[in-house]
Amino acid sequence: MSKLYMAYSMLVAGGLAVSSITGYSPFTPYDKVDGVPKSVRNNPGAYRSHYAGHARYFGGK
Amino acid sequence: MNPAAPRKGFVPKPKALNCPSCGSQIELRALGAAAGVICSYCSSTIDATNPQLQIIGRWQAAMTIEPAIPLGSRGKLKGVLWETIGFQQRGINVEGTNYFWREYVLWNPYQGFRYLSEYDNHWNFVTPLQSLPSDSGPSKVFAGESYRQFQTARAYTWFVVGEFPWMVQVGEAVDTADYVNPPKMLSSESTGNEVAWSQGEYMLGTDIWQTFQVKTPCPPPIGVYSNQPSPYAGRVRKAWLFYGAMCALLFFLMVFFAILAPSKTVLNKSYVVNPASAGEKSFVSDIFTLEGKNDNVQVGLNADIANQWVYFSMALINEETGQAFDFGREVSYYSGSDSDGSWTEGGRTDDVLLPNIPGGRYYLRIEPETDPAVAGGLTSSIPFRVHIIRGIPYYLRYFLGMFLLLIPPIWTSIRAAAFEGKRWAESDTSGSTSSSSSSEDDE
Repeated sequence: MSKLYMAYSMLVAGGLAVSSITGYSPFTPYDKVDGVPKSVRNNPGAYRSHYAGHARYFGGK
Repeated sequence: MNPAAPRKGFVPKPKALNCPSCGSQIELRALGAAAGVICSYCSSTIDATNPQLQIIGRWQAAMTIEPAIPLGSRGKLKGVLWETIGFQQRGINVEGTNYFWREYVLWNPYQGFRYLSEYDNHWNFVTPLQSLPSDSGPSKVFAGESYRQFQTARAYTWFVVGEFPWMVQVGEAVDTADYVNPPKMLSSESTGNEVAWSQGEYMLGTDIWQTFQVKTPCPPPIGVYSNQPSPYAGRVRKAWLFYGAMCALLFFLMVFFAILAPSKTVLNKSYVVNPASAGEKSFVSDIFTLEGKNDNVQVGLNADIANQWVYFSMALINEETGQAFDFGREVSYYSGSDSDGSWTEGGRTDDVLLPNIPGGRYYLRIEPETDPAVAGGLTSSIPFRVHIIRGIPYYLRYFLGMFLLLIPPIWTSIRAAAFEGKRWAESDTSGSTSSSSSSEDDE
């Protein structure tokens, strides 16, 4: 077993531990948007999510 | 003390004689021990045990080969000083193709004869056996080690020069059988009723070159030799053992962080979508606090729908910083029956994990959408529940980690199998696959 494999394994295990502590993930199912005005709280229609009007499934079997 | 025995530290000097055939000078390095001497000039085989140096035979050289290690070269192998005194090229014919290998006779007055064999620049230090190996099916057992049958062939001597412990001649034929247990090898040579066994141990050509101080460059080995030790020997087993240990470590981390995970519900509230109503459909939840610095947030949806879909465009908005995390989820559930029977599709629940969400005070902006035609025709409102949990255990990353760690041992196993495949491709016996695993585990 090579030192490279050991280093790689430690990197993977360490990365998992760090991601568990920080909640980090390279895969995020969201878009981050900065500077949303505080008025959205009282006027939700003033903000449109990027996901509004998202293509979706129509109909069943 | 035996006066005939060589004195310690004694360096024998070759005795010069004249060839009775051509008169050329012959150097006898193992006088009294060698049985046959081949004149390097006229290729006559001379009986070295006869004081009259009787000629046993003459032959016409089919080829002339210059030994890579000059005869008379001296070097220490396995702690013993050896001198090369003889050289022969032997070969087998397989399906019309000749395959040649070369053998050097090594001599030490205290140790006797040993041999160096070379094929495609793979070298073996060969020691004649004083005891016979035992049978174990098609394999042989010697000194507690099992050797797998590798190859049998009829070998012919094509070229010979120097001194030999037997009356060697060109054209001499022997039946050979090889059994391997890398880096060792057992070989038998049969002529009539006589069987001679020897044990070879693989050596690097570079070591041979260094030992005998050969001036020419050492050619690299070609291909994989029968008893060449696998560079992957032991590595496959170690890689899998290490993988097992790493999986145990990841499992421990998974359980450890699962115990530490707060899994705290921060919002669990029911709402109603009324698609038929006019006006703005979006609304916001109550403010809730996400504790800690960075952690994940699970948003779960449960909509009471039938043959309907609802799409939720959502934004998790930090009230203090104005940072939003936009995402969308769809809940759809359909059911019915047809000629195949009843069926369902989709589900009434859905959830999403939002990683790396900083702590703070948040609210959720929800903008539900649905099919107005269906909604208007069948129902006027759709109740649904939003359930937000802060810091849930996330197991998937550990299984992903186990998969990533799986790549090196699988790669090592493939490489090891390929090496063994090359080795056993040269064998005339079957069952090469099982042999690879046995050699892998040996170290």
